[in-house]
Amino acid sequence: MSTTTETASTPTGAATGRPRSGAAPEGRRPRGRDLLHALPWIGPALILIFGVVLFPAVVMFVNSTRDISISGVDQGSVGFDNYLEVFSFPYFWPIFGRTIVWVVVVVAATVVISLGLAQLLNKAFPGRQLVRLAVIIPWAASVVMTTMVVYYGLEPYFGIINTFLVDIGLVDTPEGYGWTRNPDTAFAWSIVIAVFVSLPFTTYTILAGLQTVPGEVLEAAKMDGAGPVRTYWGVVLPQLRSALAVAVLINIINVFNSLPILKVMTGSIPGYDADTIMTMIFKYIQNQHKVDVASALSVVAFLIVIVIVAVYVRVVKPMKEV
Amino acid sequence: MKKSMRFGAAIALAATASLTLASCGFGGSNGDEGEGGGTTLDLLVPSYSDNTQALWDDVIAGFEEENPDIDVKLQVESWDNLETVISTQIQGGEAPDIYNGGPFAGFAADELLYPVEEVVSAETLSDFQDSFLANAEVDGTAYALPFIASARALFVNNALLEQAGVAEAPKTWDELLDAATKVSALGNGIAGYGMPLGSEEAQAEAAVWLWGGGGTFGDADAITIDDPSNLPGAEQVKAMIDAGATQADPGSTDRSPLMDIFIQGQIGMQVGLPPTVGQIEENNPELDYSIVPIPTQDGSPFTLGVMDQLMAFQNDGDKQEAITAFFDYFYSSDVYVPWVQGEGFLPVTKSGAEALGGEEALKAFLDVLPDAQFYPSTNPQWSAADSAFKALFGQIQTKSAQEVLTEIQAQVDAS
Repeated sequence: MSTTTETASTPTGAATGRPRSGAAPEGRRPRGRDLLHALPWIGPALILIFGVVLFPAVVMFVNSTRDISISGVDQGSVGFDNYLEVFSFPYFWPIFGRTIVWVVVVVAATVVISLGLAQLLNKAFPGRQLVRLAVIIPWAASVVMTTMVVYYGLEPYFGIINTFLVDIGLVDTPEGYGWTRNPDTAFAWSIVIAVFVSLPFTTYTILAGLQTVPGEVLEAAKMDGAGPVRTYWGVVLPQLRSALAVAVLINIINVFNSLPILKVMTGSIPGYDADTIMTMIFKYIQNQHKVDVASALSVVAFLIVIVIVAVYVRVVKPMKEV
Repeated sequence: MKKSMRFGAAIALAATASLTLASCGFGGSNGDEGEGGGTTLDLLVPSYSDNTQALWDDVIAGFEEENPDIDVKLQVESWDNLETVISTQIQGGEAPDIYNGGPFAGFAADELLYPVEEVVSAETLSDFQDSFLANAEVDGTAYALPFIASARALFVNNALLEQAGVAEAPKTWDELLDAATKVSALGNGIAGYGMPLGSEEAQAEAAVWLWGGGGTFGDADAITIDDPSNLPGAEQVKAMIDAGATQADPGSTDRSPLMDIFIQGQIGMQVGLPPTVGQIEENNPELDYSIVPIPTQDGSPFTLGVMDQLMAFQNDGDKQEAITAFFDYFYSSDVYVPWVQGEGFLPVTKSGAEALGGEEALKAFLDVLPDAQFYPSTNPQWSAADSAFKALFGQIQTKSAQEVLTEIQAQVDAS
């Protein structure tokens, strides 16, 4: 990656305006002034980063070491007791495991399905524009709305999906099965919805990647006698590496941090048998009013995301050039 | 090519981020700058029904007419969000002046509330039903005003019971189990007893059973969930579920959607509230139903009373008079009774009870009100117990009764 970025001498646009005259021969000194001149331009971005990202993160960390009463009054520092509470919660490790399953299954299924969809959309066929539009729809709709539609469809007594399953004889209780009332089925359906709403972004990222695969390369593969399967594995897929890297990384972060789907689908289930770390944070805040413990778990969640991403980058080396 | 790829990804990232953020909206903004020299009162209330906002708007319009120098700002939140909103506001030092909610002992313990004597006139104070006012006391001082009350009773679908060959509405647990099992046996998805133990209001259904068997949630000093007296009720819940006398998955069924199914005529019996009468009237007036007292272990009368409170936060000393004026205005019979009537609840003032005594639909509830038992809401730990019930009690469907009670107690003690 590093090699290409340096050689790719893309013009940074006319907006910089200021000629970089004589910067090199005079040595280091003018660099500070350069930075000063740049400040008005990068200032807004810096303010945003500090105000919207770093400041809340610091507040969250501070909150995680305080004792905050049910009504929200800060009652002093408790060191790392809140973290102790997070880790000694008997359901923490099952919830942790479920979070990993959630992320891995959703991201893997999303990427596999998207690879197929992108391949399809890359072919020219009549009505392709319409199909491409249709793929965007889950993206355009609100996640909560999409989830609610499925949730009500799965309700016993009046849900349309349940009624359908009863009508074709797959469910034999007349009022339908409580899909969202049992932790395992509710969790499984949540995965389906999560894959559904993640597809558009992933498909389009891969589609963009597919369109950068040069026709000559494919032609060359054909000339060398490679079949479609061989061409795909040996030529197309390696070229998709950076598109896939973007898709997977963003999906991991997004899916890990996803609350609305699980909140809607598993919200009425008692106990902690369908929770991930995100819904657990939500339960600490909403049910138990423990803002302090919720902050501690948020810090833990933040670290977990960093570790997952680091492992992914280390093991898969997505940024390495072909 | 590389560059444009990453640029595309950045745009995609931004788009996804904004989409994700947009889908979990953080509501709640409050501009509370008072204009002119008058006093501004911030009023934070939950939404009981679609009428709530309009009813409050009427009260406020009337009040502002009488007190032109006081400006009342209304903020209506859903019950789901209410407690999060109030704790966020307190944390931000922007507590409302008047708050309508349930548990208040935590606020009293943090010394955020006015004792009620300081914010209502003596006449208004003496008009409250004594038992209700006593229920709002912490260490002998009332920190919240009773606002509205409701009681529960068993709604019975007469047609289904008749079809199943049950002659009379059940009075004891044994009769209830028997009747519900017979109704469930009708098949076709019909459930004998609607048992909502899902997170929406598990504590209410739990109280109906545990207290009906002589149990208790504790008092102002201690929360006692894991108590031998609660076991018979919890065991009976299990017995009902195991006998197939309830709808499927009672542990994760919420109350409101289940009530809709009762209204559709698919459930034999379910515990309901005064507003349920209005819901049936509106959605399925054909339904042939009756309202009877909740069956208990030995058949003695009992109901779960729930009372919501109004409380006044100590923000600035100079608002005390304005708050007093507002409360005195609100509890005057002409203002208070239409409000209670509009929402279909029961009044907590003596004058209100007199005014509504003749209402036919409320009669069944007003009758059981003397036997009402309340949540131990003056215990600062009650709200922890309340959430523990919501989060854990439904597990009784799969775990043993004792295990569930122990787990709830443990969560309460840990808070």
